[in-house]
Amino acid sequence: MAVANNDLEKVIIQSVMEELAKKGLLSQKGKDHMMSAAMMDMPFVPNPQSEEMVTFPPQEEMQIDNPFNADAVRAMKKLTPARIGIGRAGTRPKTMSLLRFLADHAVAQDAVFLDVSDEFLQRMNLMAVQSSAGSKDEFLQRPELGRRLSEEAARKIAEKCEKNVQVQILIVDGLSSSAIEANIPDLLPALMQGLKSSGIKVGAPFFIKNGRVWVQDHVASIVNCDVVISLIGERPGLGTAESLSAYMIYRPDENTVEADRTVISNIHKGGIPPAEAGAHLTDVIKQILSAKASGVKLNQQK
Amino acid sequence: MPESNNQRITSVGIDIGTTTTQLVISQLTIENTASGSLVPHVEITDKEVIHRSQIYFTPLVDRDLVNAVAVSKILESEYIAAGLTPEMIDTGAVIITGETAKKENAKAIIDALAGFAGDFVVATAGANLEAIFAGKGSGAALYSAERHQVVVNIDVGGGTSNYATFHEGKAVDSSCLNIGGHLIEFERHGDRITYISEPAQTALETTGQRLQVGERVTLPQLRPVVKAMAECIVEVLKTSVHSNLTHKLLMTPPLQLAHPIRKVMISGGVADYVYAEKEPERMAEVTVFGDFGPLLGWELKVSLDSAGFVLEKPNETVRATVIGTGTQSVNLSGSTIHLQETTLPLRNIMVVSPFTAVIPETPEMIAEVIKSEMIQLQVAQTEGVVAIAMKGPRTMSFLDINSFAQGLLLGMQDYIVNAKPLILVMEADCGKVLGQCINASATHPLEVICIDQIEVDNCDYIDIGKPLMGGRVVPVVLKTLVFNR
Repeated sequence: MAVANNDLEKVIIQSVMEELAKKGLLSQKGKDHMMSAAMMDMPFVPNPQSEEMVTFPPQEEMQIDNPFNADAVRAMKKLTPARIGIGRAGTRPKTMSLLRFLADHAVAQDAVFLDVSDEFLQRMNLMAVQSSAGSKDEFLQRPELGRRLSEEAARKIAEKCEKNVQVQILIVDGLSSSAIEANIPDLLPALMQGLKSSGIKVGAPFFIKNGRVWVQDHVASIVNCDVVISLIGERPGLGTAESLSAYMIYRPDENTVEADRTVISNIHKGGIPPAEAGAHLTDVIKQILSAKASGVKLNQQK
Repeated sequence: MPESNNQRITSVGIDIGTTTTQLVISQLTIENTASGSLVPHVEITDKEVIHRSQIYFTPLVDRDLVNAVAVSKILESEYIAAGLTPEMIDTGAVIITGETAKKENAKAIIDALAGFAGDFVVATAGANLEAIFAGKGSGAALYSAERHQVVVNIDVGGGTSNYATFHEGKAVDSSCLNIGGHLIEFERHGDRITYISEPAQTALETTGQRLQVGERVTLPQLRPVVKAMAECIVEVLKTSVHSNLTHKLLMTPPLQLAHPIRKVMISGGVADYVYAEKEPERMAEVTVFGDFGPLLGWELKVSLDSAGFVLEKPNETVRATVIGTGTQSVNLSGSTIHLQETTLPLRNIMVVSPFTAVIPETPEMIAEVIKSEMIQLQVAQTEGVVAIAMKGPRTMSFLDINSFAQGLLLGMQDYIVNAKPLILVMEADCGKVLGQCINASATHPLEVICIDQIEVDNCDYIDIGKPLMGGRVVPVVLKTLVFNR
């Protein structure tokens, strides 16, 4: 935080703090701390021990002053997570809207840059391998690296995975590690139960770090499965950072194109609930197996 | 797997009221509206009325007995006029409304008509349901959704006034008052009273008026009692503290009035006289249908105006209920449908809601709750099929959904042992996974229908029709029967 080196800045900081305190977003203690930092012309150093959590009012709260038809605004807000009906301060957003925007943006960035935790992989009993992208930065800068397994990964899969199964399930971080941790605990058991009770032979699911959708083709070529399904974190938005997609393909080869993949997207607690998605994916996989085709080819058979 | 993306179904609505009987035939288009990358979502996307019957006087054998044979003759001739046979009807509803529903033989008539009017037609009745259908048919529901304003639809018929309050397209409140335009009968175009019904007698006594059968009355003599009735109708909108007369004539609990009301729509036979340009000036104009409907309409408009309510014009007046019945009675629902086709349609499935509070955590505790409710309702002793209704599992986690499935199987042991289908209706979006969990946990193959995203508040019975869209959805009709109130 910047040093308040003139009176105008102090006044601005003070009014922002007061506004936040008034809205209940900042405790008196937090306000005093920041104010004194500002007044002392000293750089503000957050104290990690007393770091305060800021809670936002519910999204559906009316933010427009004196709305002409409050019911209409509420009804429209209910239809979309988009930032509508948030009022304004002159030509600018209100403090609350701006803070929420910044916070959502931070959540989205975390989803991309953080890794799926080791603790999570252990808890879900998932073997972990990596794409040929060695780091997050490399993964983000060079998409083609995320589409191939690393040499070590290819060796490990060849060694440990069951071959010639009907279905191989992959969990891929893609662009949102948060989506994996939020959805897999409910989605995976539902999907496994569905496939097993339909008598479908499934290989042990495993995790691929820094992976993109196409990495499934590489895996399929090693395990020789009929259907490979990737549960992959979607590019996070400001609405949710936890959305997951399932990409499925029947026997990919060197002639495979994007249209050959079947996708079910928008899996998260505000979209398709993950457990329900698991049951639905079972049906889709059954269709793919019986049609021996996926993507557009599958739709054309229907 | 055949997966056509839309299908048209033909729906009939039949309304047998105190005064009139009518029918409409509509064509409903059902479609999968979800894009390919989402879970399919089948819904009704278009409703078109393809045939409106004439408006018949309800045939009566005597004052208390509807002439079922004559009613079925009316249906027969209207089907011919529409170029349809009963086999061509996919779904629909018969609604017995107003005073008629009070009459002891109503259930028998419904049963007779349900058989006559095609395989999937279901019978329904009930003052609250009637009010809601009328408000949907009149356009009040749509008005509230489009304008984001609360509106009350009052369907004023021959025997009753049915209130339904709509907020954002949904009925949030309803009530029924025993006031209608046919409660006193006259010689047509004349001034001689031929019949005074019980509620009219009550109104006369309470207002200190003296009118008798056989008597000839003038407009000034008739006006006070009609005015009093109109004011009762308005009073229900204004306050929950009622006059003696209103209190006596209410057939259901009054409106809760949780939402402030300004906009009012009137439908039903009396509605056209509410929206008339001028008031009836002679008795002959009042008794044009052998009753006092035109005068009640005018007086109602006067009362509403002076109480400060804003009258909105409905899309349909006298046909609102029948159109609502024909086009709005059907819900579609998908999710898990594991059924032999011959099991459907199922009619009059009793809805059991065992979970009043939070759903417990373990399968054993869930089973306990279900068992005690089933014993209390003596389900085992009846032949009937029941549906378990709930908001959803404890949470949407797979663990809780799976526990619920196990608890359900345990709790319903004695029921499914008789090869009855296991029917679940819930609000939460997890019908597929719950159905999957039930099948995975069951020790032998079961007939299961798991219907999600349906609200079953205030619903006593449901009907489930034959599957549509290649077995992906079933038509579901929720109903509240007047007979047990």
